[in-house]
Amino acid sequence: MTIREDNRLLDGAPMLPLRCAQCGTRVRVRKSSWHQTSIQWDAEAMDACLERRASTPGGGPNGGRFPSCEALRQTIKQAALDGAIPVPDDHYGPVATVPETP
Amino acid sequence: MTAVGSEHDGVRAIEAEAAPTRFARGWHCLGLSSRFTDGKPHTVKAFGQKLVVFASGDGKLNVLDAYCRHMGGDLSQGTIKGNEIACPFHDWRWGGDGKCKSIPYSRRVPLRARTAAWTTMEQDGLLFVWNDPEGNPPPADVTIPVIEGATRDDWTDWVWSETIVHTNCREVVDNVVDMAHFFYVHYSFPTYFKNIFEGHTATQIMKGSGRPDARPPARNGEPQMTGNTSIATYHGPSFMIDDLTYHYDTMDIKSVLINAHYPIDANSFVLHSGIIVQRSDALEGEAADVMARKLGDFILKGFDQDIQIWKNKTRIDNPLLCEEDGPVYQLRRWYEQFYVDVADVTPEMVERFEYELDTTRPVEAWRKEVEANLARRAAESQPA
Repeated sequence: MTIREDNRLLDGAPMLPLRCAQCGTRVRVRKSSWHQTSIQWDAEAMDACLERRASTPGGGPNGGRFPSCEALRQTIKQAALDGAIPVPDDHYGPVATVPETP
Repeated sequence: MTAVGSEHDGVRAIEAEAAPTRFARGWHCLGLSSRFTDGKPHTVKAFGQKLVVFASGDGKLNVLDAYCRHMGGDLSQGTIKGNEIACPFHDWRWGGDGKCKSIPYSRRVPLRARTAAWTTMEQDGLLFVWNDPEGNPPPADVTIPVIEGATRDDWTDWVWSETIVHTNCREVVDNVVDMAHFFYVHYSFPTYFKNIFEGHTATQIMKGSGRPDARPPARNGEPQMTGNTSIATYHGPSFMIDDLTYHYDTMDIKSVLINAHYPIDANSFVLHSGIIVQRSDALEGEAADVMARKLGDFILKGFDQDIQIWKNKTRIDNPLLCEEDGPVYQLRRWYEQFYVDVADVTPEMVERFEYELDTTRPVEAWRKEVEANLARRAAESQPA
């Protein structure tokens, strides 16, 4: 099956590169609102992230996964507040329409 | 017929390739192992084939292709004799390793008398089978985690159920990311939602509050459910473990929910749900079993709501998503790894992706912080 591109990445904001303020790990980030964040890691980032390297598995059957890097979350929050990562406005008014193509 | 819409006037077309005829590589749960230990062989239709599941005399559960390589008899209609399954047609004896062990009326077994055998695993009262179109054994790091409560006395036994669903199994996997459907289809109210895809696991973390408009008010003195915390992970393509805590005004109830499936063929699958509940001071003895059954019924109701949708919807490869939808495309990119040869698994299929929605901090608080930042910057740039 063909892997398709997310229509929101084609029509809207792309994933933007961002370096973690703590360890310099490079990921790609996108916010669709103040509440929503997407993070794309690659193999290099997974090896580099200090919190990830220091993490130990949590409890329960699904505890094996690394839940989240708090330093990276802080970096993203700051980048959003500073405008480095754009955040579309959260007003739930009339939805803006895409101009019709001729 | 007049086409009302076409590419020309900007109507979006639904695109869908046929469902794959290849079946996912990975561990698949065939249900409670006790179901297969009644001394009889069992027929299981899975992966586009008919299989026989039988418990050999040594207590091991075995899975073979159901059709005898001699004259095509159905082994699942045969008889278990010692460690072997005997064909009902001419009594040929097949071992769990797939080899023909003896032919009662012949002096010797012919060469290459070997049938397809699946690697099996019994864990936590469940039978798993490893499917791999390339025929390789399961890698050591591709496992199903042990569910501690499943074998402990302070937890209930499994409340288990199975349903056949007539659609491709991608529909059930899509639910991992479909945040909005939890509100519209299942009447829950997520306040925090996160997906993590990494390697062969896909996780959904959800914190929800109950919908007062969708539940009956608690009767006097009865605990009122206030919400739940769910950490659910697909370990491979088909077996999801949900570490699920129900919050009440007076207590928490801990449970583990299984949401698993195996494909019958490209257009149908068997959907399993199982639940165990922890006994506690608030939920002693029989009360926990009653609760497990109640939650089991509740979950089945949830599945029924899904099935209603699935049996009427169409397959769609190009869903038109709005910003409030979850990462459907990224999930399918992850899911694709199970449908290609190991050598063709690309980094993008297995690299970590996170999607988080956290509504606990109101937008107003974000705005105030941005305004404060701007004001501070403006003040700093003022000449002294």
